[in-house]
Amino acid sequence: MDLAEAFRNYKDKIVDQWVDYTLSTYQASSFFKKERDMFANPVGGNIREALKKLFSLLVKGAGTEQMIPPLEQILKIRSIQEFSPSQAVAPLNAVKHITREILAADKERRHLVSELYDFEFAVDLAILAAFDIYMQCRERLYQTRIQEIKTGTHILTDSRCPSSLQKNKVQDSIPKVESI
Amino acid sequence: MAVPKLEQLSKSVVQGPSLATGAIPTRDWMDIPVHFKEGNYAYPAKKEKVEYLDSQKGLSFPNARIWSPEDDDWKLPEDWKEIILNGLKERLGKFRSLKIFMDCCVRCGACADKCHFFLGTGDPKNMPVMRAELLRSIYRNDFTLAGKLLGRMAGAREMTVGVLKEWFMYAYQCTECRRCSVFCPYGIDTAEITIILRELLHLVGVGINWILEPVSNSNRTGNHMGLQPHTYKDNVEFLADDIENLTGVRINPPFNKKGAEVLFITPSADVFAEPGLYTAMGYLILFEAIGLDYTWSTYASEGGNFGLFTNNESMKKLNAKMYAEAKRLGVKWILGGECGHMWRVLHQYMDTMNGPADFLEVPKSPITGTVFDNTASTKMVHISEFTADLIKHGKLKLDKSRNSHVKATFHDSCNPARAMGLLDEPRYILDHVVDWVEMPENTIREQTFCCGSGTGLNTDEIMELRMRSGLPRANAVKYVHEKHDVNMLSCVCAIDRATLTSLMDYWNPGVRVCGISELVGNALVLEGETRGELDDGLRTLL
Repeated sequence: MDLAEAFRNYKDKIVDQWVDYTLSTYQASSFFKKERDMFANPVGGNIREALKKLFSLLVKGAGTEQMIPPLEQILKIRSIQEFSPSQAVAPLNAVKHITREILAADKERRHLVSELYDFEFAVDLAILAAFDIYMQCRERLYQTRIQEIKTGTHILTDSRCPSSLQKNKVQDSIPKVESI
Repeated sequence: MAVPKLEQLSKSVVQGPSLATGAIPTRDWMDIPVHFKEGNYAYPAKKEKVEYLDSQKGLSFPNARIWSPEDDDWKLPEDWKEIILNGLKERLGKFRSLKIFMDCCVRCGACADKCHFFLGTGDPKNMPVMRAELLRSIYRNDFTLAGKLLGRMAGAREMTVGVLKEWFMYAYQCTECRRCSVFCPYGIDTAEITIILRELLHLVGVGINWILEPVSNSNRTGNHMGLQPHTYKDNVEFLADDIENLTGVRINPPFNKKGAEVLFITPSADVFAEPGLYTAMGYLILFEAIGLDYTWSTYASEGGNFGLFTNNESMKKLNAKMYAEAKRLGVKWILGGECGHMWRVLHQYMDTMNGPADFLEVPKSPITGTVFDNTASTKMVHISEFTADLIKHGKLKLDKSRNSHVKATFHDSCNPARAMGLLDEPRYILDHVVDWVEMPENTIREQTFCCGSGTGLNTDEIMELRMRSGLPRANAVKYVHEKHDVNMLSCVCAIDRATLTSLMDYWNPGVRVCGISELVGNALVLEGETRGELDDGLRTLL
């Protein structure tokens, strides 16, 4: 029995545990794990969908470029939640350990653990790409904030009416008594 | 170096600081303190704004000071606890709904997973039932026998500074959108719990600037932006200039015209900020096309009412302004623009606060003769009701192909959808002016997901929080964007137009945001126009 077949057989189990592990990083994780409707549960739904895609790509040894869409699906969410950068990315690493544990628990496939080098290397590449994406998301967040300020909605709080501004200028230009 | 084991990895991920609280998530919720840091709270109100509001007749905003949620000491008044408990007592007596909401929740959890803040953060205190529990625990402790006798066993706890800080954190992580209320078998309006929490916090001087400055501006000049009459008039006239450049038709908008049949009131953001400007251009084109005898007002120059997010006294005062102006101008009825919470105030509170508006007539469309009986008491008609009626009677010449650059979807703005039942009129209009598709069923109509930044939370310092709470809405837009190439998110709310734009910039670049009236303005054929090919409708730069 070769590794490719082992991955095929255990795909669902590995992905399920990976999703479970990732969603455990949320305080109220039971709902995120249980609800399968993508629109009722966007965090759980997107992470489940993306990890499933990502696993197939990792097994295939796909290039980093192909991994970007599912990684973005996950990191776009985790980068704006209250995680540190390492916490946002760390669950991706878990698939290495989950796969090892599952294979090791199977007597017939235990020997395949030693053949996981390529798979684990692919995970490493995914994690490196994930850091780049994390930063891109943070930058987009700040760009969004700047854009909002530029379009004038900030005027709602920071505005002064023109006549008031005028008045302030006049007042500013009057020398204070103590400085004369 | 050894490869870390899964458990060690978990330790760094799962047992790290929890979301929003910074605490280890293994303790009872009552024992987890809130932790304020840059990005998870909106800035407190400026001292001078609070002082100004406190000086105004009929309003009370005590304890103006400079303070920060990040400081241990919030500089509360010495007798703050007494003030809060007396305030709660007074409101339990005054608002029967509050008393019922405090007593009747059976904690069934139907609301728990319906909140966009919960769905975006995974923080249990953002479950509506838990948010209400923050107040209910104090109610039990001081106002129920079981709570007095059994204390914590009965879910009661004493009011402390920590509880007050928790209220501030979570009362400002609720947009009063009322999606949870749709699912509550007892009909508890959780938005009203948030309203009360915010009212109580104002009693001790705890409020945010993004809300109190617009309230103060509205009280002073009539609109959130603080625009004075001449500026407001100029801005509307600039829009008329743009329309002339684009269509060749000169519109001269009437202002403060006594004896006009209709007073038109819309959010000031429509005449000042993108993309609301294009919606306002749509209004102007529509009124010109039908020859409506109407007027803008430079005093009732704001549909929005941030008083709703503050306390009932401010809400009442700001709402009254619209009716005072209608009376002064001697109009027959009021037409309201695409605003969100203005309609919640109108439909659910106006009548008991300032109504009924007996001096006005039951609105009747001068073009179609339709009588809007549904507004018999408030005398105020929504622009979408009005426009849909015009289309139904064939009074508008519409060229749908002028919106061929748009593939739209429709976001039911929370308040018009859930607080006034405006569900079908915008859809009827869209059918006639643009090619559009619906988002998934559990994200529209009564079940619509909030933009995530309503109730005065549309401030840029909490952008991360807004992106989290807007995730459920953005996720549904992403679906239609990818599946149907949707490039425009239409809505009927000014806060939506501002905040969904940012939400799309982050989650779904390539999707723009517009008001329904903008799409109407694009499609409407004006008499005598010399409109060329406008490949971006009213947004086309010439």
